Amino acid sequence: MIDIQHVSKKYKLSKKKQKELQTKASSIYAVKDVSFTCQPGRVFSLLGPNGAGKTTLLRMISTILKPSSGQILVDGLNVENQAQAVRRKIGFLTGSTNLYDRLNPGEIVKYFADLHGMDKNTFLKRKEMLFDQLNIHDFQKKPISQLSTGMKQKVSIARTMIHDPSVVIFDEPTSGLDVITANSIIDLIKQCKADGKTIIFSSHIMSEVDLLCDDLAIINKGELLYNDSMENFRTLSSGNSLTESFIQTVNQAQTPA
Amino acid sequence: MNVIFTVIKKELTDTLRDKRTLISAIIVPALIIPLLLFGVTKLQKILMDKEETKALKIAFIDAPESIRSEFEEDSFMLLEDVDLETGKTDIQNDELDAVLEFDSDFMSKIDGMGSANLNLYYKSTNLLLYNRISDKIGLLKSQILDDRIQKLNISAEALTPIVISKQDIASQKEQIGKTVGGFLPYIFIIFCFLGCMYPAIDLITGEKERGTIETLLTSPASRFKILVGKMITISIVGLSAAFMTILGMMVGLKFLPDIPLDFLDSINDILSTKFIVMLFGMLFPLSIFFAGLLSAIVIRAKSFKEAQSIVTPLNFVVIIPAMVALMPSVELNWQTVWVPILNIALATKEIIAGSIQVSQYAVIVLSLTLMAFAMCYFSFRQFSRDDMVLK
Repeated sequence: MIDIQHVSKKYKLSKKKQKELQTKASSIYAVKDVSFTCQPGRVFSLLGPNGAGKTTLLRMISTILKPSSGQILVDGLNVENQAQAVRRKIGFLTGSTNLYDRLNPGEIVKYFADLHGMDKNTFLKRKEMLFDQLNIHDFQKKPISQLSTGMKQKVSIARTMIHDPSVVIFDEPTSGLDVITANSIIDLIKQCKADGKTIIFSSHIMSEVDLLCDDLAIINKGELLYNDSMENFRTLSSGNSLTESFIQTVNQAQTPA
Repeated sequence: MNVIFTVIKKELTDTLRDKRTLISAIIVPALIIPLLLFGVTKLQKILMDKEETKALKIAFIDAPESIRSEFEEDSFMLLEDVDLETGKTDIQNDELDAVLEFDSDFMSKIDGMGSANLNLYYKSTNLLLYNRISDKIGLLKSQILDDRIQKLNISAEALTPIVISKQDIASQKEQIGKTVGGFLPYIFIIFCFLGCMYPAIDLITGEKERGTIETLLTSPASRFKILVGKMITISIVGLSAAFMTILGMMVGLKFLPDIPLDFLDSINDILSTKFIVMLFGMLFPLSIFFAGLLSAIVIRAKSFKEAQSIVTPLNFVVIIPAMVALMPSVELNWQTVWVPILNIALATKEIIAGSIQVSQYAVIVLSLTLMAFAMCYFSFRQFSRDDMVLK
């Protein structure tokens, strides 16, 4: 479970940045007083336009960034005080298939398994299962630089799931991927849900959100605009498409009262 | 500790598959000294042979017959009827090698036991010309001197009241220590730095540019352990580059022809186990210092290219203290032992000469270790900053 309570992330602005943003403020909120909960066995979708604060929020959940205020608990563990324990529980996947070009899939997955302190037997069993499931065996000895985007994404999935995380974080996991590769991610999210894992994902693709999502939150300019179940959002949309409802929610928040 | 080893193992595997690192840290250091030695000795030999056998075209103006006859041999082509201005122009245009202009009363001054003048016009870029002509004139001078000694009926000793017999008690090892010894550390330091440079850019900026740092930071490995693993890898590659330089030098000296035997003996004597151990005793903390320094700098860059443009000028910063050590008045003392790079360069000269003080060597290793720790701490502070690590 992920429990987020009154979380904010504030950045100091350099003089150069102040000029760029045409502001005199010495700091800016990337995320401001956001609270929500992601339940195990459900898919939580984080929606928002570019620069809304989605990635900052996901980075805070995955302990890469520290919140300026508020509290984030992952399976009851605090991301600030128990960061290492939190990292043992999470898997983090993005759409950009960032891997080490000169290593092969086997080496990359072994590297992350070692960083997670997995013992040899557990690693081998888990690797065998994932490589079977994702059809990686055929190219497991090839350097990453020689693989297609689809193959790379499969390796990224194996790397993310090797330690069997209970919480999986997807940051725009299908952006820039072809339909077939994107589908493998959707399958993975479905599988994670079936396994009872806690899933949070950010996306711009409404069809994916519609297909997968159980709960959602919409944020814009760092602030939470909506947080409820997908079912309630659909009811609220009263016949509008998901995209139209999303745009309406964002625009309403931007219109001065 | 396991996490650090895991990072080192992965980074070494990754780095050793990088062509740029292999070239800068293994191939170039291994080949540079043999190529330099082979190239320089071969080129020098070719040039010397050519200059020694080349027939010099010389114009004589007002030359006495007795002197002209001394030059009548195959290695000189004597020209007549050349006036001075034409001769100088011909020298400028490389159509003539030299003009020898004798005073009109040259022979009468010689015969009258006076001092006669002779002007030599030539280009100093014409290697060995001055030596070849002055050798010839020198022979004439000794003949004239012998004649005069006989005529005046005095002994040759009377003309040399004091004879200085030079007794150099410095061993050849010491002499080489002060000359080649200044040049050697310069090579090791530069290659150690260059060896650290590419892995630092690849392992720090490269990871940031590829976006792999983000996934790495979501693993249970702490930032401290990740950075330590990376810095150890960088310094291992830096040390390997320095080691390959020594190895290349040893192999090159053993197999290359045309290297003078006494020089070869002295160099073999210098490259003893003791020298190598003492040198690496200093290069080890230096490579960690370089790893810390480079990591702290390249982490600010967003791309490999940007990192390269930031780091390249650092080469000159590293070269300067190594060059200062080549200056004759700069010596190892209790002040210079604290200056990084300069202290290694000076200490290496002393080690080669066999005159290093153990206490000074210990302070150098200590100061380098302290600098390395300080630089690693600074690098960790940078690596802990989110705005530095994330794109």
